[in-house]
Amino acid sequence: MNSLREMLAMMELELRRLRHDRTEIYTRAIQPILWLVVYGTIMSSVRAIPTGGIPYMDFITPGVLLQSTVFVSVFYGLTIVWERDTGILKKLLVAPVPRYATVIGKTIASGVRAIFQALIIAPVALLLGVKFVPDPLNFLGALVVLFLVSGGFAAISILVASFMKTRERFMGIGQAIIMPLFFGSSALYPVKMMPPLLQRVAVLNPLTYAVDAVRGLMISRDVSHVLRDTAAIVVFDILMFVAASFSFRKIIE
Amino acid sequence: MDIKTADENPVDVRGLVKVYQSRIRALDGIDLGIKAGQIFALLGPNGAGKTTLMRILTTQLRPTAGQAFVFGRDVVRKAAEVRTFISYVPQEMSVWTDITGYENLLIYAKIYGIPAGERKHQVWDALDTMGLTGFAKTLVKTYSGGMIRRLEVACALLIKPKIMFLDEPTIGLDPSARKAVWEKILTFKAEFGTTVFFNTHYMDEADLYSDEIAIIDRGKLVKLGTAEELKQSVKRDVIHLGLGKGSVGESVLNELRRLPLVNEVSLDRSELTVTVGNTETALPAVIDVLRNAGVPIEKISATKPTLDDVFLTYAGTSLMSGSDLREVRSVRRQIRKG
Repeated sequence: MNSLREMLAMMELELRRLRHDRTEIYTRAIQPILWLVVYGTIMSSVRAIPTGGIPYMDFITPGVLLQSTVFVSVFYGLTIVWERDTGILKKLLVAPVPRYATVIGKTIASGVRAIFQALIIAPVALLLGVKFVPDPLNFLGALVVLFLVSGGFAAISILVASFMKTRERFMGIGQAIIMPLFFGSSALYPVKMMPPLLQRVAVLNPLTYAVDAVRGLMISRDVSHVLRDTAAIVVFDILMFVAASFSFRKIIE
Repeated sequence: MDIKTADENPVDVRGLVKVYQSRIRALDGIDLGIKAGQIFALLGPNGAGKTTLMRILTTQLRPTAGQAFVFGRDVVRKAAEVRTFISYVPQEMSVWTDITGYENLLIYAKIYGIPAGERKHQVWDALDTMGLTGFAKTLVKTYSGGMIRRLEVACALLIKPKIMFLDEPTIGLDPSARKAVWEKILTFKAEFGTTVFFNTHYMDEADLYSDEIAIIDRGKLVKLGTAEELKQSVKRDVIHLGLGKGSVGESVLNELRRLPLVNEVSLDRSELTVTVGNTETALPAVIDVLRNAGVPIEKISATKPTLDDVFLTYAGTSLMSGSDLREVRSVRRQIRKG
């Protein structure tokens, strides 16, 4: 099957790239680690946020992991813009592979990168005293959620890349997407604490569901919503994949 | 249309039109056919429509009107099929610079579905054909421009395509790199009988390597023929004579003009330029006329028409755009950014 081959090839490409150069993974880990080390430590002493008995740093770890994941995925679109500037995209279009397979393949590749990113941050969190649920299946489940979320955001990023003609414009939009979603989710505080308007945003925000699922799996053991959360993320992914597959054509012209 | 005949022609273009954004007519009714096993050059200045035509033939773009067939398959209706037996090297750099040359080819081999057992062998074969085995395991970002081009051609050869489309294959390369790339292409072509269709704005490249040339300018096909045919058709041998002191009267110039093989005569101070149909037979007559008129001749040189003259004649503009340095810089910049 052409499509499967293409997707696996895109994933392999990413793995090989990572094997040669991991600096980006390390440098992108700095900001999340700062969130944990500085913000997490300070805010946990304030005790202003009701986290249902969980230490504040543990509470925000899933959000921080996801934020870094999303960051990686959204900026993955930048590499696609770059590939458009070079001839790589043109060549991929001439290969006997359906367009959507390239799109999905690229989102999978960004998921691979995101997982490596998470694997750098998680040990740091452990060192800082965050208590993860010691069940490897839970951890694996959390990685799956991370992978799915990153796929959806990579697709958004491809969507945006179709309309941005330059790299600079893209970077601005990237930030403009991530931060509002981060603050408009349950990453740093429970949804109940948000002003009503923001709560409505949180309900539509894929990150809210992702944070909820990862927090349940990794920290609180409250997995009652995990299935619902995963379903929400999958729906989000499908919508974004479809949109990205259509807009991918635009990138070429 | 006789299907069998259509099948024989690697490329068949009929009345192809491509309009961008309802305004820009990139292709304005192109008719073209090329024969199997040929090396075909599409020659024209930047912006003439060469890349657009190639992108349509390689199924990346849809034409606005007209039809194009690659080995008998309609590029719009049978796009997926066409993609299984063509390969394409775009003008811009098209390899991943943060992995090795070998890995680049391996990834493409997997994308194209070359079976696992044959993959490594075919990859090394392609690397060997392009003389890159020594550098296969180093990162592409360390490659020179010529090596990158060779790697890209290696990617194109990998699948042993029936036809290879090359968009400005040697742009930005120095002369020895250009020669190396073409040598390899010719070797491969000789062994596998692949048809080669390439775009270029370098007339020497079209002259040296193509079996047939189509000149394109502003979206229209202006002239078609072999390099020799095109140059001969222009009949512009030029004889330059450096004259000694003394004036040359209009009557002498007119007498020159009356000579059977002479097309044009112009005088610029002591530089006499005579355009003739054939230098070998015209020169003695020209010298005779000047001697009889007592005009001293100090220097003589003669030039035969170049493809640039051909281009000038048929398209009214010159191929030389003086952009070579810009091209080299741009290629180097792409590699560094990589």
